[in-house]
Amino acid sequence: MDFYLGLAQIVGVHTLLGLSAYCVLLTGQVSLAQAGFFAIGAYVAAMLTVLAGWHIVPAIAAASFVAGATACAVSFPALRVKGLMLVVATLAFGEAVRLFFFNFDYQVAKGEVKIGPAGGEGFRQIRFFPENGWSTLDVLIFIWLFVALVMAGLWWMDRSRAGAVLRAVGEDEVAAQSAGINVTAVKVAAMTVGGFIAGLGGGIFAHYTAHIEHAQFGVALATFAIAYPILGGLSSVFGTLIAVVFVQGFLIEGLRFLGDWRNLLFGGLILLAMNVRPRGLIDAATIAAVKRMRTSNKEPGNARTQGAE
Amino acid sequence: MIKKSLTLVAAAGAIAGMVAASAAEAQERAVKIAGFGAKSGVVRVFGINSEAALKAALEQINNGGGVTLGDGTKGKIALEYYDDRCNAEEGISVVRRIASTEAIIAVGPTCSNVAESLFGILQKKVGDSSDSGLQFPIIADVAAKGGLAKISEWAFRNVPSEFEMYKSLFAWVKTQYPDVKTIYGGVEKDFAHSNATFGVIKTQAEASGLQLLGQGEWLLNDTTFSTQVREMKRANPDVVAISAHPFTTCGVLKEMQRQSVKPKLLIGLTSSSSIETLQGCGVQAEGIVIPTSFAPVTPEATKAAELVAKFGGSADLHSAAAYEIAFILKNVIESQKVMGKPDTVAADREKMRAGLAALKETDGLLGKVGRTADREAIKPFLFVHAKDNTWKVLHRPAS
Amino acid sequence: MSYLDVIDTLQSVADGVLFGATYSLLGIGFTLVFGVMHKINLSYAAASIGAAYASLIVLSVVKAPAIFIFLLAGLAGGIIGFMIYVVCFRFIPQANPLATLMSTVGALLLIDEIIVHATVGIPVPYPALFSDVIVNAGPFTLRGDLMFMFALGCLSMLLLLVLLYRTKLGIATRAVAQQPVAAQLCGISIPRINGLTFVITGVVGGIAGAMIGAAIGVLSPLLSLPLTTKGLIVTVIGGLGSIPGAIIAGLLVGGFENLFQYFRGVTERDLYVMLLLFGFLVFRPGGIFSPAAGRD
Repeated sequence: MDFYLGLAQIVGVHTLLGLSAYCVLLTGQVSLAQAGFFAIGAYVAAMLTVLAGWHIVPAIAAASFVAGATACAVSFPALRVKGLMLVVATLAFGEAVRLFFFNFDYQVAKGEVKIGPAGGEGFRQIRFFPENGWSTLDVLIFIWLFVALVMAGLWWMDRSRAGAVLRAVGEDEVAAQSAGINVTAVKVAAMTVGGFIAGLGGGIFAHYTAHIEHAQFGVALATFAIAYPILGGLSSVFGTLIAVVFVQGFLIEGLRFLGDWRNLLFGGLILLAMNVRPRGLIDAATIAAVKRMRTSNKEPGNARTQGAE
Repeated sequence: MIKKSLTLVAAAGAIAGMVAASAAEAQERAVKIAGFGAKSGVVRVFGINSEAALKAALEQINNGGGVTLGDGTKGKIALEYYDDRCNAEEGISVVRRIASTEAIIAVGPTCSNVAESLFGILQKKVGDSSDSGLQFPIIADVAAKGGLAKISEWAFRNVPSEFEMYKSLFAWVKTQYPDVKTIYGGVEKDFAHSNATFGVIKTQAEASGLQLLGQGEWLLNDTTFSTQVREMKRANPDVVAISAHPFTTCGVLKEMQRQSVKPKLLIGLTSSSSIETLQGCGVQAEGIVIPTSFAPVTPEATKAAELVAKFGGSADLHSAAAYEIAFILKNVIESQKVMGKPDTVAADREKMRAGLAALKETDGLLGKVGRTADREAIKPFLFVHAKDNTWKVLHRPAS
Repeated sequence: MSYLDVIDTLQSVADGVLFGATYSLLGIGFTLVFGVMHKINLSYAAASIGAAYASLIVLSVVKAPAIFIFLLAGLAGGIIGFMIYVVCFRFIPQANPLATLMSTVGALLLIDEIIVHATVGIPVPYPALFSDVIVNAGPFTLRGDLMFMFALGCLSMLLLLVLLYRTKLGIATRAVAQQPVAAQLCGISIPRINGLTFVITGVVGGIAGAMIGAAIGVLSPLLSLPLTTKGLIVTVIGGLGSIPGAIIAGLLVGGFENLFQYFRGVTERDLYVMLLLFGFLVFRPGGIFSPAAGRD
């Protein structure tokens, strides 16, 4: 049981990571900086609970704000470029953040042992959860509270005018601009929200893995961040969640019985998924189909959904 | 339609996989233990060797009659080995999975970064009810970064003490090469093990009276070392100590050859005394001295090396530790009267932990292994050097 | 700064520039695919290393001279390149850049893991040419194998330019790059040209992989991720689609890397390379040879 609870924790945190990239992807930008914001969140939150003795809730709140502010500050220069240029610019920023933490040494003596981030050796003993007697289930509920909150927020935003604006910028920037949308403001807002969510995820990540080091926040994690929403599809926030379950639950844990062949399938199945469903596991057609099923059950022949097809 | 059926097949596969993984049950009385480590990714070799060593040792034990359980019956030890991909999150997941089975102890992990996270989620102090950390004993075979076991009282290691090894090595260097005065270091800066060990090498070298002229630093996937080696050349040291894994150790040795840097003595990192180094740069590595806790010098060690090879692995200082662990576990199971029944799992785990913590000494392949109060091992070791493309034993310190 | 320090600095930069030739070769591949298809192929560096590995299979059967192995790596690279095209691009709608981005990530992971499986992750020695040649020029020394690689990089670039500007295939390729619709109306088969582009870049990549193997002396799956990053950086600094730009940028990145390393140490080296790149992108987004109408 504990194992499934633990797995659900991982799914929750990775969903946050994926959703942070989802926000940015909606505006048509591919950002590989999410791992960097995730790292900032992880280090800030961990330092606040371990070194300053804060409770975890204010700590991850502060971490999210720091990560969000960084994202906002970075997005102004970064968003001058787009396409591949932006991919590489954000990659460079993400790597710069990782390398900053690689060089970041801030240890404080506590009794006999020194605690705090120690450069390349990492930051060990981030034990807020076990020290305060939180069970795996408590942690799980705590994590999913935030995931639900973020998902609900994004889902609501998606259906409001803000979502339409984001997607308009993503579909055709020039058209959006001529419709009177301030493209730069929209992109910066999306980056900031994305950074905020990544910081939140990172703050939680640091506490359930109990140890963080720079190597965890490299290009691989940044690629995963954008992989979730792309694999899941950009039509709905649930796509990201489904993709995380697909990757963490099926590709990583579900295929564990395959032993060392599992990793071979990992890349291959991502390839296959993209060939079979290039617009993601949940695309616009899936959503239309779900809606159709719902409406045909309740009130057959709803004019609005038929018109939407 | 094809797309839909494909999705269905994938979903069915997922469910089948989860069921298959949990439905493996043995028929006869068996004590279950688990092993885990990296069996995929670039450090895959560690996991493969550890698994082979564990299997080889368990075959010995089981063919020799198995273990005596707490109620006097004989049982076998059954092993299940998991792949953690050298990833901390997966390591935690794997151990939670192991803890949900009937396994009474886990052997692993191979990567220090996984061990850091894993030992962090364990209960720190036994019996501390305010600490909700996982209560499950883990004994590490490979993860080599110094001082890991002190993170939790449920964590143990059978990993050589690099502190003792390099201390003894430099003492020996002083007697063998009385005219060496200076040393230059090289370290793979972003690999926790290399970096931590370099700290040990540096202090031990200076304690033995060598003067540290400087140090070159590089990263674990660096490919060019000319700047670092040029500085080394300018320092003109008597001894060069390289704390890095085979890939960069070879890169540096090749660059040293190119710039014709020829120190009187070369010293390497424990993990580099492997076949990898010889394959990568046998010629350049000629003469490099490395302390190690395994070499086929005793009858037991030779036999172990053969058996591990039979299971598709190779015995080195890391996998030899896994081999020894299997026998340590057998002794603890017998001395602690472990029952090995489904309803005694929690008690058996506690017994294993207590038994391991109480050990003062264990049998190793090279002789007696001391256990310290912070759950680490002090293993006998020897010095090997690369000669004619093989590792030859250079000196065996008496201790 | 003493005289020796100046010499050392210059020597470091020279070493870096020579080694930068490998980055240039990778940059060419990235830039060519981008130029023709306006897509990123993230599996390119991994495929290049994979091709070098594939050439070793032949070496294990027959004892062949090193230069032959390099050519074989080029051949293997071409084949792998075409396979990548088929599995990552052919059946995914052109208008969906995110899907191909992800499929090439899948291919990157797959190639890496195949290599890891075949070699247990252990580095494999790779034959080198002129590795024992060290040229002494005054207080400086230059590595023969790196200079050979440098020359080979320049040669591949020349051949590519001839191919692109002096042959029918080249005209078709450039036509597809500039105006796909018009090119199609002129009777050019776009999938065929795209496939051929992947074969050509694959050949360049295979040779690059072999050169990297020869320069380092070993091949390891550890190389593919850092080389992917380096390749992307070089492509962007050189300007998307610009082959001469990629060459110059590769050498520049190699030189700057060693310069930063010399003055700031290895732990901060990449940090400054990234900041350099970031600054470059923000202030000169069109790359070194930014064309007049410099937009993506």
